[in-house]
Amino acid sequence: MTRGWQIALVVGLLGLLILFYQGLWGNPRLIPTVLIGTQAPNFSGPGVESSGTLSLDQFKGKVVMLNFWASWCIECGLEHENLLTLNERFGRDPNFVMLGINYQDKQDDALDYLRRRGSNFAHVRDVKGAISFDYGVYGVPETFVLDQQGVIRCKTIGPIIGDVFAKYSQRLLPGLLSGSSEPVAC
Amino acid sequence: MIIELGHFAVVTALVLSLLGIAAPILGLWTRNSDWIRVGRQAVTLIFVLLGIGIAALEYAYLTRDFSVAYVASTSNSKLPLFYTIAALWGGHEGSLLLWVFILSAFSAVAVWLHWRTQPAIMPYLIAVESSVMFGFLMLIIFLSNPFERIFPAPLEGKDLNPLLQDPAMTMHPPLLYMGYVGFSIPFAFAMAALFSGRLGEEWIKVTQRWTIFAWMCLTVGIMMGGYWAYYELGWGGYWGWDPVENASFMPWLVGTAFLHSVMVQEKRKMFKVWNLFLIIVTFSLSLIGTFLVRSGVLTSVHTFATDPERGLYILIFLAVVMGTAFGTLIARAGKLKSQIELDSIVSRESVFMFNNLFFLVAAATVFLGTLYPLMIETWKGSKVTVGPPYYNAVFMPIALGLLFLMGVGPYIAWRKASLDNIKKNFLIPLIAAFGVTALALALGFRSPFTIAGAFVVGFVTTTIATDLGKVSAFFARRDRVNYARGLLTAFAANQRRYAGIVTHVGVLVLVIGIIASTVYQTEKVVSLRTGDEFTMGPYRLTLTEIRDVRGPNWTAKEGRFELYRGDRLLTEMRPQKRIYDASQTPTTESAIYAINMGHVFLTMPEIAPDGTATARGVINPLILWVWGGGAIMGFGVLLNIFRPRRRDE
Amino acid sequence: MVFGLLAALASAAAASTVDEKELDIRTREVAKTLRCTVCQTENIWESGSPFARQLRENVRERLEQGQSPEEIRAYFLSRYGDYILMQPPTRGVNWLVWLGPFALLLVGGALLYRTLNRWVTRTPVPPAVEPLDEPSRRRIERELHS
Repeated sequence: MTRGWQIALVVGLLGLLILFYQGLWGNPRLIPTVLIGTQAPNFSGPGVESSGTLSLDQFKGKVVMLNFWASWCIECGLEHENLLTLNERFGRDPNFVMLGINYQDKQDDALDYLRRRGSNFAHVRDVKGAISFDYGVYGVPETFVLDQQGVIRCKTIGPIIGDVFAKYSQRLLPGLLSGSSEPVAC
Repeated sequence: MIIELGHFAVVTALVLSLLGIAAPILGLWTRNSDWIRVGRQAVTLIFVLLGIGIAALEYAYLTRDFSVAYVASTSNSKLPLFYTIAALWGGHEGSLLLWVFILSAFSAVAVWLHWRTQPAIMPYLIAVESSVMFGFLMLIIFLSNPFERIFPAPLEGKDLNPLLQDPAMTMHPPLLYMGYVGFSIPFAFAMAALFSGRLGEEWIKVTQRWTIFAWMCLTVGIMMGGYWAYYELGWGGYWGWDPVENASFMPWLVGTAFLHSVMVQEKRKMFKVWNLFLIIVTFSLSLIGTFLVRSGVLTSVHTFATDPERGLYILIFLAVVMGTAFGTLIARAGKLKSQIELDSIVSRESVFMFNNLFFLVAAATVFLGTLYPLMIETWKGSKVTVGPPYYNAVFMPIALGLLFLMGVGPYIAWRKASLDNIKKNFLIPLIAAFGVTALALALGFRSPFTIAGAFVVGFVTTTIATDLGKVSAFFARRDRVNYARGLLTAFAANQRRYAGIVTHVGVLVLVIGIIASTVYQTEKVVSLRTGDEFTMGPYRLTLTEIRDVRGPNWTAKEGRFELYRGDRLLTEMRPQKRIYDASQTPTTESAIYAINMGHVFLTMPEIAPDGTATARGVINPLILWVWGGGAIMGFGVLLNIFRPRRRDE
Repeated sequence: MVFGLLAALASAAAASTVDEKELDIRTREVAKTLRCTVCQTENIWESGSPFARQLRENVRERLEQGQSPEEIRAYFLSRYGDYILMQPPTRGVNWLVWLGPFALLLVGGALLYRTLNRWVTRTPVPPAVEPLDEPSRRRIERELHS
């Protein structure tokens, strides 16, 4: 085995092990969606708790936090309290609105879920999945944050708990609401 | 109590594995064979202890002891007996225990089998196998313990994943592990050769049967997985190129390269370093395959509960094994300046080398395809899918190239193939190849895969048939018997060679089956009510009724379809939509009818409340050749293993 | 007998031969090219997951509305990124994975050929010997082919 092949072997092995290591610590939550920086697609749909129709256009000019959830989703249950807390904290700001999008669910199950866990913001039913397709959603929970210009700034895959919750509460939402043009910590 | 006993046994096994590493080393150092004997006892005892551990866990399963967390998560009081026993390897912790148990069994057998004939290898064999066992046992005891109790004990278990409640799926892990583990024996012998500096051909001859046995287990194990996917997952396909499948395919590819390449070393004493390299790669891929699917490296986006700690340990273990093995190879490779004498590029040695090239490129392709998404994600942060269209485009040409080589290798001369030799062996097959291709085109086949396949299959079939014909004729003439007897005599005269040919025939059959069932598969999905019928190719299916049925731990809606060809009723097919009681998981059970060596495959994916059923029918031409080909491949290996020993063995 | 005939006619009228609608066939064709993002490596036609089912229906609706398969794929590509296709799109860095295997084969083959050549030129040619008689030659040929 010549020197060249020996070096190639060692380099190859190291590269492989580094790749595996990266795979272990890679955080699936931080997959940048292709929609970041694009205009959020409008949608409209029947409310879960209300009988009318809700649409995104109604909240033009506000910072919108869009949370996709389902009653059968365990992780959604984990984050629900945090969502209520965030809405309590920021909901008083007229420039903020939180919206839930109920995904692949039955209305009765969804109502039951909200009744059990509490609800302080509006929810829209994504009847045929069109809204979730528009937003590139493929599971729950997924959360999008839109700025006051209606541009998607952030996407979080997974429940908003722990560090993520702290980030939303302390940096992300205040930053967007302040209207500053600084890049947000996503 | 029993569980704690099992746990204690496994912990003791872990301690003994350390002894299994230390004792042989001590024995070598002090040149005292008594220490080696201690190592042998250790290996034997580890096997017994792990057997006790497995037995204890099975006891918990059979007595429905749901205070054991693992038992509770993989079984249920209504689970049938057969699946209750198999549930032991239905989850991560238990399947690891099975892996190391099989390893201990193979190690013990190898040590006892070769004790008298291979005394110099023994200390290294014991130490290497014990090291691997140590690695696995550390993982099991500290990070994946199947013996853990749960308080309070649930009244009812969660149930074995319904997709696993199936005969093929229960056999798939044990066979696969036997394949992975089987390659550890030639690996240990290779490491022995490297560590000791005794780098002759001995280890190849001794491990030949181990290698092909491991290869056979891996082949059959992979086929079982494919068969399970075929009828359980219900889309009529058997190979999806998904990371879990690929993880088992890669060691198979390199293992096949290895088992061919060592034939050259046996015959011509060449490629020593290369063969050592190949077996180290094969076994490394076995370990990578075992671990990749459990470490959290290959997961989909929405798996949040990965355990990076476990994955990190696995990675360190991999790094140690591969580092030691390849490091020793690099260090010792200098001592192996084998004089490679090659008389001509047109020779069997050369063909074997091209065989290796193609197999390694094939393995590299699967590797690249499997890890490319991870690479892109790490490097650029975006995600791509590498799915079947990629592999079909890229892998199939390589596979066809290999198939062509399979027709050349056995019939080209060693050292230097004369023009005469080439003409005699390959002219007619080449002509036949063109003939078959022309025939295929004439019959209207247009898919490039089919046309290229026709050429290669025509070529290889003719080389094999000509060889068998010539040699049968020779012996028939010599002994004045008929051709069949002549063939048997030829077979007996060189059983190893012809057993290999049998395996090659199996590969041919497999490839034909794959081409037919992939390219010419037809599918139809309809919605229908009771009394309706639909046609599919030459067949007609009528839905006669939908009824409720009950199983031991499931309920189902079963559709009864009558399958007609013309006016003749062939059979009744009963696909089901099942719901398993415990987990409320739905599964789609397929109905299969074999005809003309193919399948009519029927599933009923949905039943609407109003009684409208969705039926999905697939015709898979020649699919039995896929499973049959695999069986013939395995049969060839058995013929090889159980051949009468010749004087030089 | 008349009764039996009437009954037979009645049942024949109720039952019917069903077939795939062309729309279903087209849906299947497009569905096979889109990845089920919550499954291991299945397309949305093979997968039984609810996500796949909804996506199939969405594809069906789009086909009904008159969108072409390319337009449908482009839409999903714009929302989900390259991941939604069943193979890496042939652009940019992805050429690495598409051409890599063939490059490896060619480079490997060239290296192998060169190495083999080197071995052949290094091997001493055995001295010329008397030509063999036929029976011996045939026996040796047979040995070499076993």
